[in-house]
Amino acid sequence: MPTRAFTFFVAPSLIIMLALMTLPLLASVVLGMHYITFRNLDAPQWVGLQNYEQALADPEFWDSLEFTLIFIAATVPTRIALGLIFALLLDQVKRFRGVFIAAALVPFVMTPVVGTLIFRDMFDRGGPYWYWMQQLFDYRLFMNSTTVPLLIIFHNIWTATPFAMIVLFAGLQTLPQESLEAARVDGASWLRQLWHVAIPHLRSLFVFIALISIMDAYRVFDSVFVLTQQNPIFDAETIMYYNFQVALSFGRLGKANAMSILTVIGIFVVLIPFLVMTYREQVEEV
Amino acid sequence: MTQTRSPLARAVIYAVLVVFTIYNVLPFCWTILNSLKLPKDANARTPRFLFQPTGEHYADLWLNMRPEDFAPYGLALLLIIFALVVIVFYAGRLPVPNSLIYAGVAAAGLALLLGLPRVVNTAEFYDYLVNSVIVTIGTLAVSLSFGALAGYGLARYRHVISVVILVLALAFRSLPSLALVLPFYYLGQLSGLYDTHILLILCLVAVNQPFTIWMLRSFFMEIPREIEEAAMIDGAGRLRSFVSVIVPIMGPGIITTGLFTLLLAYNDFLLARILTQINWTLPVGIAQWTGGEDPGHITLAAAGSVSVTLPILVVIIFFQKYLIRGLASGAVKG
Repeated sequence: MPTRAFTFFVAPSLIIMLALMTLPLLASVVLGMHYITFRNLDAPQWVGLQNYEQALADPEFWDSLEFTLIFIAATVPTRIALGLIFALLLDQVKRFRGVFIAAALVPFVMTPVVGTLIFRDMFDRGGPYWYWMQQLFDYRLFMNSTTVPLLIIFHNIWTATPFAMIVLFAGLQTLPQESLEAARVDGASWLRQLWHVAIPHLRSLFVFIALISIMDAYRVFDSVFVLTQQNPIFDAETIMYYNFQVALSFGRLGKANAMSILTVIGIFVVLIPFLVMTYREQVEEV
Repeated sequence: MTQTRSPLARAVIYAVLVVFTIYNVLPFCWTILNSLKLPKDANARTPRFLFQPTGEHYADLWLNMRPEDFAPYGLALLLIIFALVVIVFYAGRLPVPNSLIYAGVAAAGLALLLGLPRVVNTAEFYDYLVNSVIVTIGTLAVSLSFGALAGYGLARYRHVISVVILVLALAFRSLPSLALVLPFYYLGQLSGLYDTHILLILCLVAVNQPFTIWMLRSFFMEIPREIEEAAMIDGAGRLRSFVSVIVPIMGPGIITTGLFTLLLAYNDFLLARILTQINWTLPVGIAQWTGGEDPGHITLAAAGSVSVTLPILVVIIFFQKYLIRGLASGAVKG
């Protein structure tokens, strides 16, 4: 593609992103180098990298980072694996496909502010899951520092699997028919078709889902906020939740901005392998 | 891929999908039940599956008039919607071009949405619905057209600059939403666009653009170049070959991306909360009932959530037909 055509194609999107997103990014960088609380909003004090030093020396920061990384490791592979399994199952059926797809999207469609609340209520005392566990297995579910982090993980898998499933299902539908025909003529089993045709074909979609999932998992906030009911006893703070506390509970706005930048950097560190893959895919001629 | 013929395997596949479906929709079903309960049933110590149902939360939510007075209008509304659905369903058999019918139905739907408050005394929640519909459609239109162009350009221009743009987009997307709050608020105040649909649409597009271009790029990467090269040899320009050749093949990819863009815009809470003062959208309207100790709030929030989720589910069921049809016809040769 000639450069002029490329410029034309990319310009609208790039302009709107640069116009609206550069300001927040720069603001975070600049504010992150100031000492600001709600009391000196008009006269922030320049402190250089001190906020970063404080954040990195803060044990709570590392605790929350640890839980965030556990959360990523638990949810991202699970949702991709489940998404692929259900996309393949969906690919096998013709009848009721629309119903299955619509149902799978329900957790994602439900207004998140209410969805998370209902999810908690179902496991909380007086909710149906809590009740069934008690009636069927004689297990009394308590909210404690083991169950609440598990619920946060579980909730994320519940809401995020449909995304992976739908994307992979749509990808399966664009498989090159001729390669499949060729594989069929050769008598390749379903498993071989999957391994040699489908999975290589879906590669950029896998990378895309992994990228988006890791980013979202790194920044998980709402479900932590609702499911812990902001109670520190459950030991389930993520980076974003701690960031929120630093900003609003402790009023350290400068430090919170520094932590936002650390988050961007942290996400990029986790994403390095995917970025390398994208770079190769993009620059090497196929 | 090859579909299995073994009846046993098919039975197992269906069984697994049914279990998955139940697990997916159970919380929503519970929300529906809660929306029909009196507050004392919704806040009971053990879950109540049988109770005296009430529709009063829905009436409170949507109407500023007695439900009895609304009944005739409601009936007329249902009849009109039913007629529109029937027209869409049988569009193929009518002697008028399909695009004309769809445009007419869309216009009629919009007129109905905007005209209803002139006839019926609707509550504030209805205004939030109107705002949400405008913002969602606006965001979807801008986001998809910009995103499709950029995604295609990025998939075809193999150069370091593409990588730079993609990584920059990731940097924007990885910015915590907390960091967006203040800059966007000031931007709104300075530009004088605070509390307008346009500003909210532009901000939603900007925030979702990284997602859109990455997703569409991934789909475009899968299309063999030979297809558009063939179109170019036929003498079509690049933009025309994009619109007439690539976009139709990418039907499933574009519809899938559109679906997620629509959901992101429709369900967005934070941006709508900071950028509006009275022109609230639905999630902001519902959020007022999700905190606090008032026992009546959980049922109102449930009714609100059901009211806003059901139409989207209808849209999804409608579009998945196109998704699957697009696939059957548009299977990529390559």
